[in-house]
Amino acid sequence: MAEQRVILNVNGRNYDISIEPEMTLVEVLRDKLDLTGTKISCGEGECGACTVLMDGKPCLSCCTLAIQAQGKSIVTIEGLAEKGQLHPLQKSFIDHGAIQCGYCTPGMILTSKALLDENPNPTPEDVKTALAGNLCRCTGYVKIVDAVMAAADEIKK
Amino acid sequence: MNEEFSSVGKRITQVDVAAKATGEARYTPDLKLPGMLIGKVLHSPYPHANIKKIDTSKALALPGVEAVITFDDTPKKAYARSYRDSPMNSSGHLQHSDEYILNEKVRYVGDHIAAVAAVDEKTADLALDLIEVEYEILPYYIDPQEAMQPGTVPIHDWAPNNIPIVMDSAPPYLAQGDVEKGFAESDVVVEETFFASKQVGAHLETQACLANVDANGRITCYSPSQLPHLFRRELAKMFRTTVGMINVVTPFVGGSFGIRLSCQNEPICIALALKTRKPVKLVYTMEEDFTELDTRTPDYFTIKMGFKKDGTLHAYHIDTLTWSGGYLGRAQLAGGITLAWGLGHYRCPNTNGKVTIVYTNTTPTGAMRGFGNPEVSWAAEQVIDMGAEKLGMDPVEVRLKNIKKPGEMSNIGLSIESTWEDECLIQGAEAIGWKEKFGKPKQEGKVRRGVGCACMHHCSGAHPLLLEHSGAIIKFNEDGSASLMVNPGSPGTHIWGALAQIAAEELGIYPEDFNIVAGTTDGSLFDLGSHASRSTYVTGGAVRQAARQAKSRLLARAAKTLEVSPDELDIKDRQIFVKSSPERKVSVADICFNGIFNFEGDCETVMGAASFESRWNSPPTAAFFAEVEVDMETYEVKVINFVNAQDCGTAINPMSVEGQCEGGIQQGVGYALTEDYSINRDTGKAETDNFTTYKMPGTLDMPKSTEVIIINKPDPKGPFGAKGVGEPAMVGVAPAIANAVYDAVGVRITDLPITPEKIFAALKMKSR
Repeated sequence: MAEQRVILNVNGRNYDISIEPEMTLVEVLRDKLDLTGTKISCGEGECGACTVLMDGKPCLSCCTLAIQAQGKSIVTIEGLAEKGQLHPLQKSFIDHGAIQCGYCTPGMILTSKALLDENPNPTPEDVKTALAGNLCRCTGYVKIVDAVMAAADEIKK
Repeated sequence: MNEEFSSVGKRITQVDVAAKATGEARYTPDLKLPGMLIGKVLHSPYPHANIKKIDTSKALALPGVEAVITFDDTPKKAYARSYRDSPMNSSGHLQHSDEYILNEKVRYVGDHIAAVAAVDEKTADLALDLIEVEYEILPYYIDPQEAMQPGTVPIHDWAPNNIPIVMDSAPPYLAQGDVEKGFAESDVVVEETFFASKQVGAHLETQACLANVDANGRITCYSPSQLPHLFRRELAKMFRTTVGMINVVTPFVGGSFGIRLSCQNEPICIALALKTRKPVKLVYTMEEDFTELDTRTPDYFTIKMGFKKDGTLHAYHIDTLTWSGGYLGRAQLAGGITLAWGLGHYRCPNTNGKVTIVYTNTTPTGAMRGFGNPEVSWAAEQVIDMGAEKLGMDPVEVRLKNIKKPGEMSNIGLSIESTWEDECLIQGAEAIGWKEKFGKPKQEGKVRRGVGCACMHHCSGAHPLLLEHSGAIIKFNEDGSASLMVNPGSPGTHIWGALAQIAAEELGIYPEDFNIVAGTTDGSLFDLGSHASRSTYVTGGAVRQAARQAKSRLLARAAKTLEVSPDELDIKDRQIFVKSSPERKVSVADICFNGIFNFEGDCETVMGAASFESRWNSPPTAAFFAEVEVDMETYEVKVINFVNAQDCGTAINPMSVEGQCEGGIQQGVGYALTEDYSINRDTGKAETDNFTTYKMPGTLDMPKSTEVIIINKPDPKGPFGAKGVGEPAMVGVAPAIANAVYDAVGVRITDLPITPEKIFAALKMKSR
């Protein structure tokens, strides 16, 4: 299929690129933009490892065509730290031992960011519900929930 | 908490996690080399067939395809995916090599028969479709009971009736006394049959490899392998080269859980790189992971226990039928573990057992977390409860009566160095509220609650069953910072932090003083790898030894400066001081600087390097307590509370120990309730090939409350008293839940997983 020119806004920067129209957003992020922080795991929207933010909402980038992302603002895990300063969620995940193998971490952090942006005062149950679509095989989720709750407190400070 | 330690026992954060929090961490699928090709594997659609002909010409003619390889294009060197044909123990016991890089006969749906390398993934996929294979379809066997019937077609010619191995328990530790007499002398005898299921590792990073061959023919293999040094040796044999011509690099690893102990798609990737002389990356899809990789070993158990009136276990027999899959994988070792860990857990004068391993036309079986122990515990920990009920005793009391004490013979036949299994049971029971909650009178209403327990005894490494050799190098820089050079990559177990804490404690400096150099066979001393809950205990032992050597060099040099003898010195907070007058001191940094920028003919990079073989195996122990709710309309089980009490010796980093235990609960809850590997009998294909059909627990499926109790008492042999913890964390989760279901509704589910259908059927049967 002929390549198509698209402009994608990722982490605040416009990328003018040529892609095959059937490429998924995660393929473009990883293969064209070298943003490999977004992971492919199940490849069919079941595990949440490929989560990015699209206009602030969690989006499964393995089930989204890149052309659908035109005109939207995409944030990947690489775009979360500002001027070398980790986002409170990143810091909290590190400090609480919420990261083991780390493959689910980008998706966990971005889904949590969307939650905290919408609901700055979540209960642990809210956090669990928000993260219900993000699978983790290492942590048992306990420290992930703790980390999100602590980050919520930190952000409010 | 051990207050005398300055680094050990602290909840430090890990050096390798910041990269994971920012997306900077590169895992094998993230790697890219210039000119890299993409590899793809053709898997068998049939469970059992001979390949009569493969025509690759159309695939090769497709523009962009650079290689298509089959059995004929790969070295004819059979290998064992377990590497168990290495001299892994002193008796040199070998395991049969039973597969090839690409096979000429297929033995399960998913077996690897051909591979392509192409300029991109799309072309590689198209090329796979163009490979024409003519199969001679053979009868296939999904269950071991079918496969082992006389007259079945052999899956491997060397294994008559598809039974490669029958293991009878032998003295001293697998068999004791006279079992028949023991049962005759028992007051209460219980016997039950069980099925332990084919759990999938389900690590989120799918299997991947990047292989590169340089101008000298030297191979670099990037892979998430858990045993890089053994893997390198296996690759050298396979590709008929020297070990020195191969570097195995383990970048960040997206979960292992024992599945990555085996050789997976790496040999195929290397074969493609050798053929094309270009870098090749081969990344499996999740469907390929589910249908091609090793799983936990499924077993059918018959377990019989005889007790004396007072609850003393008097006779114990285990009969296991193990479902190997199309290749042996690790079924042979798992069989031995089910016997040793099963029969060796409790004190019992009369024990014996038998394991029959059967080839089947299903995916091979590997070494998933604790392998052998979660399986046999699923059965044995329910039989203990059945015995307790018949005896009219509390199941916790029966366990306390029969668990072993230090000095008794462990599951591996060694003297137990330390065990606080009693403390685990007592503190765990207290935390769950056992006395108030267990054995309540029959309940009415929609939701019934129950509590259950289990306990276990595991290993810290596999001595003396297997070689337990690790190495470490510590190399100081001129400012007193240091490199800690070890093999384990970053699999997510927080092992780097634990090793840095051990080194810092020994050297009197801080964990953050170390830069961890890891993950290559080129840059590390021999290290067996990450398995059997060994890394803290054995690699930690090597690190402590290397640190002692480096410390002796620091003290020797400081002794000259301070004009005392080295044994009058010690190190604390990066300062080397005279023990009798601590104000006389010199910094580690000054000593290191003087060693490197030295103009007096006395130069030295302060370092220590040690190879270490663990001659001990201190068993970690644990107790597990579950409180469940069973919904009497849907028969769904919810785990409300879970308590995991762990005796892992000294917790080097309690936060990491908690993390292992909490993660173990997730894998155990999945094993117990929802992870149900299912094979279509008509096609032989796994029907559970994604996370919709194979349901592993998410946030909402986990216990509402989880408590981890760390007993934290030092072991006499482990580094600073540590024992293993990785595998023990999941061993007893499933039987504790099964026992809690029994407490709630009075039916015992013996086949994993505990589904609503099984509870419904059991209740219906009971009401008849």
